[in-house]
Amino acid sequence: MKRSLKSLSSRVVIAALIIHAVLLPILFYGLLTVVRHSEEEMFVDQVRIFSRVFADTMDTDLEFDSEAELIAHLDSAILGGTCMFAALELGDRLLVSSLMQPEDAEHYAEDFRFGENDDGVYYTSAPLQFPEQMAILKFGFDEGPTTARIESARGTILFIIIGYLVVSLSLVTFLANIVTGPLQRLRRVSREIASGDYGRKLSVDSNILEINELGSNLENMRSALVGVNARLQQEIADREAAQAEQRKVEGHMRHMQRLQSIGTLAGGVAHEFNNVLLPILMYIDLALEDLPTDSPTRSKLERVMRLANRAKNLSQQILTFGRRSTEVTQVALDVAPVIEEALSMVRAMVPANIEIRTDIEHQAGTIVCDPAEIQQLVVNLCSNAYHSMLKGGGHMTVSLKLVDSADELSGRHLGLSDDEYLRLRVADTGVGMDPPTLQRIFEPFFTKREVGQGTGLGLSVVHGIVERHDGKINVSSEVNGGTTVDIYFPLGSLREILSQEEHENDQGYHH
Amino acid sequence: MTRVIIIDDEEDIRIVLKEIFVRAGFEAQVASNASDGMDLLREHGADLVVTDVIMPGKNGVDTVYDIRMEFPNTKIIVISGGGNVTPANYEPASIKTTAYLASAEAVGADLTLTKPFDREDLISAARELTAGPKLTN
Repeated sequence: MKRSLKSLSSRVVIAALIIHAVLLPILFYGLLTVVRHSEEEMFVDQVRIFSRVFADTMDTDLEFDSEAELIAHLDSAILGGTCMFAALELGDRLLVSSLMQPEDAEHYAEDFRFGENDDGVYYTSAPLQFPEQMAILKFGFDEGPTTARIESARGTILFIIIGYLVVSLSLVTFLANIVTGPLQRLRRVSREIASGDYGRKLSVDSNILEINELGSNLENMRSALVGVNARLQQEIADREAAQAEQRKVEGHMRHMQRLQSIGTLAGGVAHEFNNVLLPILMYIDLALEDLPTDSPTRSKLERVMRLANRAKNLSQQILTFGRRSTEVTQVALDVAPVIEEALSMVRAMVPANIEIRTDIEHQAGTIVCDPAEIQQLVVNLCSNAYHSMLKGGGHMTVSLKLVDSADELSGRHLGLSDDEYLRLRVADTGVGMDPPTLQRIFEPFFTKREVGQGTGLGLSVVHGIVERHDGKINVSSEVNGGTTVDIYFPLGSLREILSQEEHENDQGYHH
Repeated sequence: MTRVIIIDDEEDIRIVLKEIFVRAGFEAQVASNASDGMDLLREHGADLVVTDVIMPGKNGVDTVYDIRMEFPNTKIIVISGGGNVTPANYEPASIKTTAYLASAEAVGADLTLTKPFDREDLISAARELTAGPKLTN
């Protein structure tokens, strides 16, 4: 069942109406009773005083010679204007004023209260002290004027009360509106907010403490929610954008890796092929030199030579393909995931007594790079770090951070421009190196490891990779103090590399 | 006469290169690995060493380094097949032979050539490198 809902102001007005409906009749009848009582008492008092005074004059002035004089005296009572009935009972006779009809005397009925007997006349009597006989004065007074005054007072009271009701209800309505006006605005705005317009401000301009506080509390809640909402939406958008970017990069990387593995395979085949082709071509060359110019074998050998040259061209094409897929094509990307993938390889090869700590800053910036080479770089550096800690154990720290070249100690001597670089740092707590060793570390096949523990190509490959990425490398080391390798990559934008690739696609791969 | 030592693990390459150098007027000796080559060098000396870079035993880059240390005046040509190789125990990826050649140059090789090269290119480079006074009469 639905509860019937009414607005606050109509409830207040209805409550005021009910209160008035109960209180105003009570007030009305109360006032009326007071007025009536006072009017009636005044009337009765006047009547009694008149009767008493009139009776006294007759007591003191008993010189009535005749009945006619008595009647004339009674007439004077009526002529005085307040009395409409005057009679004198003398024994069993009744003298009636000549100014009234004789039959009216029969209507006399003694009243003890105003309005008794419902005859519109207040009858009263006053005994006289006549010497020999019983004498009673009887008067009748018109109740009409007093009744009319009471009626008029009733009208006045009614008028005042109705006026009061009207003014009071207007005031109640006005006050209810003062209270409910801000609430109505609050309701309207909250309804708009509920229907999705979260930007609406819940401002309440009210002098009423509670409403003002309610409004400002609601506004605080709303703005907090709007802030939270905006933040959440921003986060969702950011995450979606990052995911889209990530998918794009992953797709690109998968493509690169596929091309690269094909390139690696092709490059390996080409290498073997070239080793075979060299002696073939040269043997033919020597054989042709040996043959006399008119030998019939010469033309056959020349054909073999042409075929071998075709094979040589094929090998060059394979190599060109391999180079395209492994060297030329670089991508602009956030290298953090690439480095983390390489670190998972490193973890697999590092024993448990060596701890790997990582501090990889994601979305720090993009660099134009070959993901596979970056992985090789990380693995080589970690491999060196791990070998330096083989005996004593320790920990290596791999971090990726966006740095300002001005803040880097080695920035100047490396020739870094005043710019931001992405710094890959691999630091270990291993045996370290003395200065002469430090000078030779980039030489290929230079190694301090025991035979069978490495090729010594590690750092020279690292150096090559860093150079291909226009990066800089700094190695600092102390004997028994560990080694820190910092690599600085210049930031590159995806747009640059994409436009470069588009350009290449326009050229076409038609080798 | 200009003396040249050829170091390569492939017999056919040794044979054919020796023939080419001999026909071009060089005195040529061959070795199938780096230590034999070093022995020949120490024993007879040479104006020029032509060495492969990817070989079993000591590789070409180390060989260049050793020759450079011991015989600073001997010219060195390093040759390698193009493409890439995957040395044993080397993770994660293959190394391009251009990297080896670059490394060899870094430690002192005078010239690098990618197989298959032209006969004339090899001989003219060898003549150019050894144009100065000869080691032997």
